[in-house]
Amino acid sequence: MQDLVRMLAAWALVHESADEGWKAAVTRGRKLEPGALEEGPEAFVDGLAALVAEEKERLKQEIANVGAEGQQDITRPAELGQKLDAVAFELAELRGRLESLQASVDAIAARGED
Amino acid sequence: MSARGRAIAAVALRRFLRAAWQARFGLRRGHARRQAFGRQLRLACEELGPAFIKLGQLASVRPDVFAPETVFELERLQDRVPEVPGAEIEAILAAELGAAPEKIFSAFESQPTATASIAQVHQATLAEDYRPVSGAVLPRGSRLAVKIIRPGIETFIAEDLALARRWARRLARLPGMARLRPESLLEEFRDTLASELDLRNEGRVADRFARDFADDPLVVVPRVVWRHTTRRVLTTEFVEGWRLNDLGEAERAGIDARRLAAHGAEVFMQQVLVHGRYHADLHPANLFVTPDSRICYLDFGIVGRTTPAERIAIAQVLAATVYGDAERALHYSRELGLEVPEDKAPAVRARVADLMKTHLAGREQADVRGFALGFLSMLADFRIPIPEGYGLLIKALITVEGVARAIYPDIDIIQSAKPFATHLIAAQLARPERLRERVPAALKAALRELLA
Repeated sequence: MQDLVRMLAAWALVHESADEGWKAAVTRGRKLEPGALEEGPEAFVDGLAALVAEEKERLKQEIANVGAEGQQDITRPAELGQKLDAVAFELAELRGRLESLQASVDAIAARGED
Repeated sequence: MSARGRAIAAVALRRFLRAAWQARFGLRRGHARRQAFGRQLRLACEELGPAFIKLGQLASVRPDVFAPETVFELERLQDRVPEVPGAEIEAILAAELGAAPEKIFSAFESQPTATASIAQVHQATLAEDYRPVSGAVLPRGSRLAVKIIRPGIETFIAEDLALARRWARRLARLPGMARLRPESLLEEFRDTLASELDLRNEGRVADRFARDFADDPLVVVPRVVWRHTTRRVLTTEFVEGWRLNDLGEAERAGIDARRLAAHGAEVFMQQVLVHGRYHADLHPANLFVTPDSRICYLDFGIVGRTTPAERIAIAQVLAATVYGDAERALHYSRELGLEVPEDKAPAVRARVADLMKTHLAGREQADVRGFALGFLSMLADFRIPIPEGYGLLIKALITVEGVARAIYPDIDIIQSAKPFATHLIAAQLARPERLRERVPAALKAALRELLA
């Protein structure tokens, strides 16, 4: 159960949303008395939402601590690699355009010499 | 009226009368009548030369405007143009690249490899190593394909288009023709033609395609040699292989035809649904199969584009079609701009379900072309306008089936599409924004079941 809550918390953290329904469910869930989860699916979901929100805050704190210790975010190198590839391709495209323009300039110059 | 104007008018009138006779002056209705007019339109374009051949070819990818019979007739347009003499070609190359061909290339063949209404292709040999935008370095001595715009074609096309515009203006006044918007359609065609006449555009699209499929070992896109490319000259590597038209049993025996055909269909779906840009002018002459069992794409003159939202809807339509769900296919078609009026919806749904049963589910080998033709005819019968991108896509899908069958005649494109469509829908459902939309409701529903 803890793994599921942590997974949902990670998902909520990555896709931080300002969904009013979600916020309301968290508020309702926080107000629930012990044992209220058995009252039905609505109460269960509210309770789960509150658990996930709590876990999300914990996760946020953990990440902040890791960042403070100077460790790298493991997702960044992959993203950077993709961006670098895209920029390298655009640069190569630009080189291609310049080569083509150079060919046209050479042709105009050759005509001028004739 | 100029001599050319009179010649165009004479051809148009003669072909119209012949079509009217074949349609028994309107006594024959529906399919037979549309086929008669489509055929005469194709013959008129062939008779009137390059500008009209090109206009016809552009019209052949627009089932949103023309009847399906016309579209498929125009697809058969033949470029029967005489070759441009070698001396003229060499003069164009000298004017475009600044030196005689023998100084630019280490060898240049004055006999063309291919001739078409707009351009002609010659083979040459690369004089120095070249680093292309995508892919490995082309070594000195590599064989090249040099595509050259035919001399004077721009002027010829501009003059014919000016005459066609006058005719379009007159046509627009006729009842029933305004719906086709002849003037604005001609403007669209003029823009596409202008883009095609600048071969650098084709080179750029080729580079993008090469990048999209850089990791696919079965796809080849000829590398562009920009150093020898200008507005009127496009130089690429020459890829050895068989055009699909020429693929016989002997050639098929040496390649993994089944795998290649299925992969070709998947590559098309990736173009449309993953990369958002697709080769919209696929026909057997624009595709090669290489002796080492790879597919080579050529001629990127007409390219279709899809937005992320369209890709999701197209994937849903595709999956619904593959699994024979007419209601779902029509629901997501609406997101692609296909508006079915409420009062016609039940009849349309029934016709689509029937078409799916007849052409896709109820046969040993699915017939996408039959299904798509029936679908387009049904929309024409119900007078439901076809959005441009939607029509282009249907046309492209039919072509993909044709291409796949040219490689491997027994392929069932629907069976091949099933795993891809399923995977794609699963991937789309797992996207965070979709999860955010669906997870709370799904969770609640699941809990209700569990706690009931």
